[in-house]
Amino acid sequence: MSRRGLLRSTLGGAVSAAVAGQSVLAADAPKPPRKLLLLFLSGGASQLETFDPKPDSKYGGPFRPIATSIPGIQVGELLPHTARILDRLAVIRSVNTGETSHFRGHYLLQSGRKVPGYPVLGSVMAQLMERPGDELPGYVTMRRHNPQAYTDVGDAGFLGPRYEGVMIIDGKPPANIRRPDSIDVAAVTTRERIRRLTNQRFLERRSPRSIQSYTESYQKADALMKRREVFDLEQESAADRARYGDHHFGRNCLLARRLLEAGVHCVKVAHHDWDAHFENFHWQRQRCLEFDRTFVTLMDDFRDRGLLEETLVVIMGEMGRTPRINYYGGRDHWGDAWSMAFAGCGIKPGVVLGKTNELGTEVIDGAVDAGDLFHTILAAMGLDAKGNHQVGGRDNPIGDPASSVIQEVLA
Amino acid sequence: MVVLLLVGVVPHVGQAGMPFPEQIDRIIDAAHRRDGVQPAGVADDAEFLRRVCLDLAGVVPTAARADEFFGDSAEGKRERLIDRLLAAPTFSLQMSRVFDAMLVERRVATIKSYDFKPAEWQDWLATAFRGNMSWDRLSAAMLRSDGTSDTEAAAARFYLVRDVEPHLLARDIGRLFLGKDLQCAQCHDDPRIKTYRQADYYGLYAFVSRLKHFRDDKKKLNFVTEKAAGDVSFTSAFSGEMGETNPRLPGGEMIADPPLDKGKEYSVKPEKDQMGIPIYSRRLQLAQRLPRKQTTGFSRNIANRLWALMLGRGLVHPLDMHHPDNPPSHPELLKRLAQRFEQTGYDIRGLLREIALTRAYQRSSRLPVGADQKRSPGPSEFAVAALRPLTPEQLGWSVLQVTGRLPSRIERFDRKLREAADKKTGKTPGKAEETNTKKTGDAQLGLDDRNWQAHRQAYRELAGELAGLFTVFSRLPGQPDNGFQPSVDQALFLLNSEQMVKFTRDFQLLDRLTKLADKPDELASRLYLAILSRPPADEERREVARLLEGSENRDQRRQVIRRITWGLLVSAEFRLNH
Repeated sequence: MSRRGLLRSTLGGAVSAAVAGQSVLAADAPKPPRKLLLLFLSGGASQLETFDPKPDSKYGGPFRPIATSIPGIQVGELLPHTARILDRLAVIRSVNTGETSHFRGHYLLQSGRKVPGYPVLGSVMAQLMERPGDELPGYVTMRRHNPQAYTDVGDAGFLGPRYEGVMIIDGKPPANIRRPDSIDVAAVTTRERIRRLTNQRFLERRSPRSIQSYTESYQKADALMKRREVFDLEQESAADRARYGDHHFGRNCLLARRLLEAGVHCVKVAHHDWDAHFENFHWQRQRCLEFDRTFVTLMDDFRDRGLLEETLVVIMGEMGRTPRINYYGGRDHWGDAWSMAFAGCGIKPGVVLGKTNELGTEVIDGAVDAGDLFHTILAAMGLDAKGNHQVGGRDNPIGDPASSVIQEVLA
Repeated sequence: MVVLLLVGVVPHVGQAGMPFPEQIDRIIDAAHRRDGVQPAGVADDAEFLRRVCLDLAGVVPTAARADEFFGDSAEGKRERLIDRLLAAPTFSLQMSRVFDAMLVERRVATIKSYDFKPAEWQDWLATAFRGNMSWDRLSAAMLRSDGTSDTEAAAARFYLVRDVEPHLLARDIGRLFLGKDLQCAQCHDDPRIKTYRQADYYGLYAFVSRLKHFRDDKKKLNFVTEKAAGDVSFTSAFSGEMGETNPRLPGGEMIADPPLDKGKEYSVKPEKDQMGIPIYSRRLQLAQRLPRKQTTGFSRNIANRLWALMLGRGLVHPLDMHHPDNPPSHPELLKRLAQRFEQTGYDIRGLLREIALTRAYQRSSRLPVGADQKRSPGPSEFAVAALRPLTPEQLGWSVLQVTGRLPSRIERFDRKLREAADKKTGKTPGKAEETNTKKTGDAQLGLDDRNWQAHRQAYRELAGELAGLFTVFSRLPGQPDNGFQPSVDQALFLLNSEQMVKFTRDFQLLDRLTKLADKPDELASRLYLAILSRPPADEERREVARLLEGSENRDQRRQVIRRITWGLLVSAEFRLNH
């Protein structure tokens, strides 16, 4: 069987199992549907202080590289925990997107497109993985309120608001998920009765399909209200909260675990403030301190819970940072040669793909672009980006037809 | 047109002198006969009233207007209603929202402060529609404005909200003015659509490739500036073939730049704090050449969009996919609409009027009795009126309309303006001008103007209360309308939001209805008329009476009316234009 055929049969099986509500016991039983966790290093992490150190170059900076669990491969000393589990990751050191705008970069890396209007990964997952009876939203995205993350308006593109990520801002549950105290049960009953009675009459000599999606949206709202505790981090143990870290990123990663376990298909967690135009080395250290420990906690935890087998974890930002160190000790925006990493399902662990030159200014081997990353992420999820979205009477290719899967990092 | 049918005169389609709405219907009816489609019957008065008010006024009718319309038994009342709606301030306001949604597509500039103020742009549109500005002039203004003019500065928002980004502009000019989405042709000839060529895309692109955003930091104003030089070349991502182009409209001639002496390219030289103005502007060429009937697609695009606005679906669908492999559902009809629009000088109000007068527009959204519900006619047959979701604005303003908040605010502003005017002229306050049927031209203008101001101010003042609702119900920025896509967060908003709690806590309608609590039948009538613009069915009357039965005091009765009101607001019937 070809790799693609295998992928397709895996997904098909997963969907039918989910529909039938069977538990996965038999040896040849289909696997549960895959999930995506996107850890987005917003602002642009420095590849030189993380996955692609250049200790002997004039642009290398003050930090030293350290050995990792992959023989012969080093990462920056700011990632001691990640270094220990690097053999569980697939790292790409040869990302060349050429994009140096935060706004366009956020969009490009998540949609695999330069041309605006396409859906981002989370929305694509929400649409492709959607199953009848889903109670939770397919895509949840987390960020802080202020300062703003660069952009997450219109993430679903032409897929429309139905597949827009549900936003968790500063850890708060989605808007209006709780019934206000001023509305009591009697009020809800009457309101509901009138709504149904009116709809019933409305449907005389009209097709029930015409209002189906509208009535469904109320059923889903109801289901979501009943399950609103999935957004409540207080339900997790104090020990877990301490392990994940008492900061935005830590709390959001734990919440991501909670949501993925509850059945959300894709969660994006933004880790902010990597945009170090000033005092880059101070800032990269600050950011790595948070990221490194939480990420490895998450990796161990997901593995222990069996979650990693069905979850693809992607670590990327909208760009990297310039090799050249500026007057203020900062590194600026850089899209030509930077790094990202994968872990979890569908990935070949222990692979380090691609190479940059001695200064880190250019990719000299294995260059990939955002379109390729998009195809690869979908492939790892058991989906084929060469298919089409069919929306509003048009066919739109899921992945950019000019890009392709990066086979080297796939299992 | 009804008379013609009654006396048995069946003119050929296209016969000169036949009213235009009848010409439209003949074409659609002929297609029904050909395809064996049984069209729905005529919409009843309630269905028609609500629909035409939503389309031409942007809100559901008040109970008073419904009473008046249902009680009118004279012939031609639908036509009279259409004409009243077209002459009302609400028409200009509604069109400003419709065209804002069509032209800006809910976009937000990447840096908000670099945009033109949305409220001023909407105001400019509303004023333009109040003066019935034609589509060609409106288009020219948007393509021409650089933000410096006294009268059409706001029109520059078309460019500014798109960050004056030439690729985005080229694509949207193609889509919104010519009905062609050339997006794929940015990188290569579109493999799916033979007539969408890369050279066409770059021909449009060359008109706008020299444009840039200019910000006057001192005045905190934004403009569109243009460089005097800059050539356009392109390479196919598939074949590697290269091309160069000057500005060119799809299917048109290439426009060469005039030769200019070196150093004399600008009338105002661009400096750091000085916006440059070139002697020769490609942008002005675009504004001059595109909005004309000679431009392929210009008339058909807008005719199709106005048809879709009223009927819920374009003759060409999707709206920006005009090409030979996607022909109109009714080619002859689109041709006639476009011609008619050209002949009337692109009179938007006029064309909407004629569409509103058709039987096609005035059909019921209920299938004919006995029809198979599972095999309802397709949307492009126009045999049954479409069920269309209310736009965020229609929904929001209708909530404020039915609860009485909007009408009372308009009334308050009207009273204020009247009192101010009376003070000026020394008239005794309270002598309403409306009673004076024979007015001089000046007085009439005064009344019109006051009515306009009262509406504009009321809508402007209440808009803030609806901001949250508009956000939740808007489609995504820059995306075409993909039909009804109700989402969970919208349902949650309608069920739980602070705003809905506020809208249904105390409202004018509630006060009026509470007084009728011992007459449940009349209460039900008023309630359903106010909210759903129709009388309640027997079953609904009984339900209202039953719900009121248990309530002993005024507070409890208010509570019940509140709950029923809210139930009606979340019904599919209220959510849809049907």
